Amino acid sequence: MEGGGVVGQFIQFAINGLMSGAIYALIAVGIVSVYKATKVVNFAHGYLIMFGAYFYFTFSVIVPGQEWAPAWLANWQPEWMITMKGDLPMFSPVAAVLDWLSNVPRIILGLVGALLCNAVLGRIIERVLMRPLMGQSVFAMIMVTVGLISILSGGAQLIWTADAASVPYIAPNMPIRFELFGTMIFLFGTDLVNMIVALLLFGGIVAFVKFTKGGIAIRATAEDQSTAYSMGISVPKVFSRAWVLASTTGAIAGAILATRNGISPSLGLFGFSVLAIVLMGGLDSYVGVLIAAMTVGVLEAMTQWKMGGSWAEIVPYVTVLVVLVWRPHGLMGQKEVERI
Amino acid sequence: MINANLKSSYAADERVLNNRYKQAFVYSMIALLILFTAFASDYLILIACQMGILLIAVVGINVLTGYTGLVSLGHGAFVAIGAYAVTIFNNVATGIIPAGIMPFFSIPFAVFLAAAVGVLVGLPSLRVKGLYLAVATLAANFIVIFLIEEDLFAPWTGGMVGLTTNSPNFFGWVLDTKREMFGLIALVGFVALMMAQNLIRTRIGRAFIAIRDRDYSAEILGISLLRYKLTSFAISAAYCGLSGALFAYFYARILPEQFELSLSLNLVAALIIGGMGRTMGPVFGVIIVVLVPELIKVLFGALAGDSAGVGQLRAPLQQIAFGVLLVLFLLKEPLGINQIVDRILRAANRWPFARG
Repeated sequence: MEGGGVVGQFIQFAINGLMSGAIYALIAVGIVSVYKATKVVNFAHGYLIMFGAYFYFTFSVIVPGQEWAPAWLANWQPEWMITMKGDLPMFSPVAAVLDWLSNVPRIILGLVGALLCNAVLGRIIERVLMRPLMGQSVFAMIMVTVGLISILSGGAQLIWTADAASVPYIAPNMPIRFELFGTMIFLFGTDLVNMIVALLLFGGIVAFVKFTKGGIAIRATAEDQSTAYSMGISVPKVFSRAWVLASTTGAIAGAILATRNGISPSLGLFGFSVLAIVLMGGLDSYVGVLIAAMTVGVLEAMTQWKMGGSWAEIVPYVTVLVVLVWRPHGLMGQKEVERI
Repeated sequence: MINANLKSSYAADERVLNNRYKQAFVYSMIALLILFTAFASDYLILIACQMGILLIAVVGINVLTGYTGLVSLGHGAFVAIGAYAVTIFNNVATGIIPAGIMPFFSIPFAVFLAAAVGVLVGLPSLRVKGLYLAVATLAANFIVIFLIEEDLFAPWTGGMVGLTTNSPNFFGWVLDTKREMFGLIALVGFVALMMAQNLIRTRIGRAFIAIRDRDYSAEILGISLLRYKLTSFAISAAYCGLSGALFAYFYARILPEQFELSLSLNLVAALIIGGMGRTMGPVFGVIIVVLVPELIKVLFGALAGDSAGVGQLRAPLQQIAFGVLLVLFLLKEPLGINQIVDRILRAANRWPFARG
């Protein structure tokens, strides 16, 4: 292969990596937010995402497929769309957009349903499992989230026993091609939109925590719980807000992952690689986590390119071990000062 | 009856079983195990074998988590290393070492290999602890299982389809029935438990406990964190390797997916449910962790017969029950069943006077 081709391929894989990195960042933001407010590291976050994906599946595929659901919900086809479709050549980008448009009602229903259901789920978890553990040891809290893993994955199998079908993409899935350094770069529109959505949400949450009153309450609670109490901040409210934030971002991440990888109980395993990423970036640093997520995304894509797909799955774990030995508190995490 | 535990010499105080209740308990347990091996039904033997294999691994994790205070969510990997090491050693050394003395080489090999990998995995523990260590060991678990499944090593490990194993052969006596295997497992499990009980009264064990209670203070007292944390990792990994070796001998086939994260979580859950940092904790924990899914299975068998629709619910329900148990113990009884048993024994001891 000539030099230009390699550079082009490199860019292709780097872009793929950045796109999955953005989704990692979106998942990671849930873990970081919960940690910042409550000092709990949620090992079961991947399973919250899995629930989000299943809720999206329920509201965008199962519900519109019911007999009582109006026909436009499953497949919205006004007059003008049918006429427009008739005139189009095969594989045109416009057709992809039209396909997407006819799915829009159920996509919206799916996203809204997933957001609401996951928010409720997050609240329940916080109220029933996490609040009684306030002030307990780190070990106990980790292990409660570990127990939550079994409960959630068992629960998902219990509720959604049916074989999962494919879910609608959340954006028009047209191929995008352009030439760079003599190679064709090839992307899917939906991946690009996913990345933008993920990054926007990430930025939105960082801005929320940084600038709004609720965000400042979260940061104050993270700094010192009793001081936060005495300044009139309702700490339990902050806790449940953080959990709802995590589970709603998880719902969107779940919907995106469902369109990319399909729905299966193994979606929960994503949580573990993202946990590795979060520790790599530093538990309480959004910037560090973003850097780590993007790095791991690109490294995974490169591994896939050079060593084959299966090696890519251990990339986050190897990287986290390397980073932890080199910098025990992650790339940009705060060093804990211990007194005897 | 109220009774004190008077010791009139240092030797009496330093014994492994330092009062006569413990001695009586241990002797009656030995008798019970022998009777059980001889007379229990095949089904009970099968369940007891599962418990015994798991018990050895949980005793190992107790050394690390219960006594040294280092969290590990990756000990399934060491069980895997033990199981694969013993099988691969068997396959490679067949013909070189006579079959009759093979277990005397293959089991120590598995134990040492697991301990060596344990030291390697323990290295991050010198710089990180708590949560970071939990994730580091979790990462190690994923990596080990991945390497076992990887095509590169498939000629030895069998890749995704695993390996068939053979029964152990002691001087021509092949332990090919479950009952014979249970005899071996019970013996090894008993020795493992006694060794753990012995460990905590030695210098090493007390160093572990000092590290658990406050690692920096322990270092100031002259305990080398490097040495003892790695020793702890090595000992616990060795136990898990031993458990893996028995696992391989017990089952006809080993598969990489048997040693994934869920096994590691099972081990830690058994420890928490039973009681951390207590010798009998793993025993109680393992009994619960094996019995509860089994009870659900039996219950479902009675309720549903073999109707597929209800049968489908069994596996998820077992999983949920497991999670709920773990969470309930963490919330309500963080010191585990051992604590409950202690309370009952204390009340019995003081009867008819004040309870509590």
